[in-house]
Amino acid sequence: MPTNRSNTRSGSLSPGYNPVMRPSFFNHLHPPTIPAEQSRWRYTLGAGGTGVFLLLVVAATGILEMFYYIPTPDMAAQSIQTITYLVPLGGFVRNLHFWSAQALIVVSAIHLLRVVFTGAYAPPRRFNYLLGLGLFIISLLLDFTGYVLRWDQGVQWALVVGTNLIKTVPLLGNWLYVLLTGGSELGLATLIRFYAWHIFGLTLGAMILTVWHAFRVRRDGGIAVPPPALRRDQRRISRHELARREVAAMLFTGAALVILSATMAAPIAAPIHDLGAMSGNARAPWFFLWVQQVLKWGDPFVLGVALPLGILFLLALLPYVLPKPASAELGRWFPKSNRAAQLIVAIVSAGLIALTIIGRLSTP
Amino acid sequence: MRRYLIFIGAGLLLLSVLAAWGASARGPKPVELVPTLTGKPEYCLTCHGDLPQISSSHPIKTFGCIICHGGEALALDANLAHSTMRGGANPSDLTVVEQSCGGSQCHSGSAAEDRDHIQRVMRSVQSTYSGAIASMLYTFGAQPDLTARYGMHAVTDDQITTSTGVAELQAFNAAQFNNSSVSQFAANCTTCHINAKPNEGAEYARWNGCSTCHTPQAPDQTAGTGGKVHQLTTAISYTQCNTCHNRGNYDLRTMTFVPRTDQPTDRLHNYYQPIAQFTQCEYKLDCIDCHTRTEAMGDGDIHSNKIEIQYIQCKTCHGTPTQLPQTKTLMDPNDIAFRLADLNVVAELNVGDTILVTDKGEPLWNTRVLPDGTYKLISKADGRVFIFKPVMGSGCTQDPSRQDSAYCHTCHAIQR
Repeated sequence: MPTNRSNTRSGSLSPGYNPVMRPSFFNHLHPPTIPAEQSRWRYTLGAGGTGVFLLLVVAATGILEMFYYIPTPDMAAQSIQTITYLVPLGGFVRNLHFWSAQALIVVSAIHLLRVVFTGAYAPPRRFNYLLGLGLFIISLLLDFTGYVLRWDQGVQWALVVGTNLIKTVPLLGNWLYVLLTGGSELGLATLIRFYAWHIFGLTLGAMILTVWHAFRVRRDGGIAVPPPALRRDQRRISRHELARREVAAMLFTGAALVILSATMAAPIAAPIHDLGAMSGNARAPWFFLWVQQVLKWGDPFVLGVALPLGILFLLALLPYVLPKPASAELGRWFPKSNRAAQLIVAIVSAGLIALTIIGRLSTP
Repeated sequence: MRRYLIFIGAGLLLLSVLAAWGASARGPKPVELVPTLTGKPEYCLTCHGDLPQISSSHPIKTFGCIICHGGEALALDANLAHSTMRGGANPSDLTVVEQSCGGSQCHSGSAAEDRDHIQRVMRSVQSTYSGAIASMLYTFGAQPDLTARYGMHAVTDDQITTSTGVAELQAFNAAQFNNSSVSQFAANCTTCHINAKPNEGAEYARWNGCSTCHTPQAPDQTAGTGGKVHQLTTAISYTQCNTCHNRGNYDLRTMTFVPRTDQPTDRLHNYYQPIAQFTQCEYKLDCIDCHTRTEAMGDGDIHSNKIEIQYIQCKTCHGTPTQLPQTKTLMDPNDIAFRLADLNVVAELNVGDTILVTDKGEPLWNTRVLPDGTYKLISKADGRVFIFKPVMGSGCTQDPSRQDSAYCHTCHAIQR
């Protein structure tokens, strides 16, 4: 197969490439050159790449935490105290894990908004948009399960109310509750299940979807920009330049994480003594504050289960029901051709942010 | 991209890592303690290493901190570590005393093993305030007699051992009486039972629960330091009793507390209200030199008045013109007298020693009968020694049937 590509597993532009070998995954993600428009900070915000970096930090720090965390109701919170206060650098590693997980949600949300507000989900990227959406949901679930693993009074509300919400699902509610919690009431089986989901089930899903998502970015022709004929900037950058930009983003993100982790401790509270007594912090984790807020206003199933699922469904449908954004307008913010999607997502985001703020300000 | 961005980023990351490392290195180095009673590590001493051991009966290596105080043993953050402490700084507060002082059957349990301190205190007039409540309700026509029906907390007794014992008290709630005097009483006169928040002022300052009496120096509320004292003792000085007693009077007409206005400069005048009569025993000795733990903490029954439980009289130690005081020669090494003496070592007590006992047979372990027929009392608070004689053989001509302390005061009261 004649080829002039040199992105071999050896990873260099050297002439000694092996034409039989496929490019390595790294080189698949970093072709010899890419259009300069595809890696402009102003356009991508670097959100996708930063998300991958955060995921790596979360994974590395999470693996370290696994050496000390004990997933039983009577030991979980104590083992977290051990990590936080007694293990050398344990508190710092835990803070890193916490802050990169929170940052991952924020960065993923920014990435999603960027994709919608630039019309980048247009075919052929519709499927990858769904993968990304799935990844975002998995990140939220990872954050929630990790939050529950604290098993202290700070997570008690979310644990009890969150799991009880499942019971409100018509017909399947009780069955789903047992599936989620491992029994008719919260306890050891519940914690083990959350733990298994956190460190295995969801993590595996996140790994597969991340690799698939990144792989599809290249398979779909790289980050969305207009076809070559319509591009205003015809310049290209080398994979070295791309890698340099990624490294710079990682260094700055890393520095921000270290500063956050050194100055602001991840939340911790006293162990749960009585799951029935709703003492302690009655506030949901920040990314579910909006759910907690709408729950005050009516039927738990409609507002707590159907509404979030409805929003997810709406987001998933965008590329399939709305007109395809114009190819010429790709790579630009707020193209005219996808105003409808921008409006819908802007309204949904504004609503969620407003509910989150109200939820934060009101007494739980 | 400008290449120096990489160097700036790398420099920033390096700096922040160094700063984080420096910050964590400045933190406290954890100090571990594994008390033998719990066998579980605790790290309270990381910050509290300067606290004195609370008492020789509670050695830190045996008890640690958590077994009494609760709290998060592993947390090095003050807020978290203190968040689950029992009773805040005072685990002997009666609302939590059963879990702290009573835990593992230490000071809670059966009367037979003399482990029922908490049960006795919970029923005693010092904590129920039942005598004051009963007297007040009777005075204002809210109940037909002086028998106690209400306490500051509800309490029951299924083993009544005295003729004046009451089976149960309901929690006193002034609102149910619809009586302004009762409401006034509730508002103004309920700061003296041992689980009440005391009045403002250094002279009233004390802890609650067991520490009301057993933590010697009162917290100095006026100094602004909180004056926290980490000590438990059985050598209780009269000054501790004075944080409640001898502080003034209650005006029954207005149902208000009227603090004493005089400022005594010596112990003689420190003690008593102007019209009270007393002998030198009552201002030279400490209260606990005569009054027993049963009087102070109760006998396990619920009583309707202090009088029913306060039974030490002059004659307990001095006898009467016709009778010597009751004595007991300690032959059993397991006698409770030895346990009490061990808890407050002011004088050696040996098998074969003869001591005075109360009418109820309680050992007055700080007394000795001397060979010459006189008696010795060693002050429990400070070890001072007093030698005294029996009434019998003295010139006392008092009617032998009238031997209560009030009669003694007639001749022996100090002139003020």
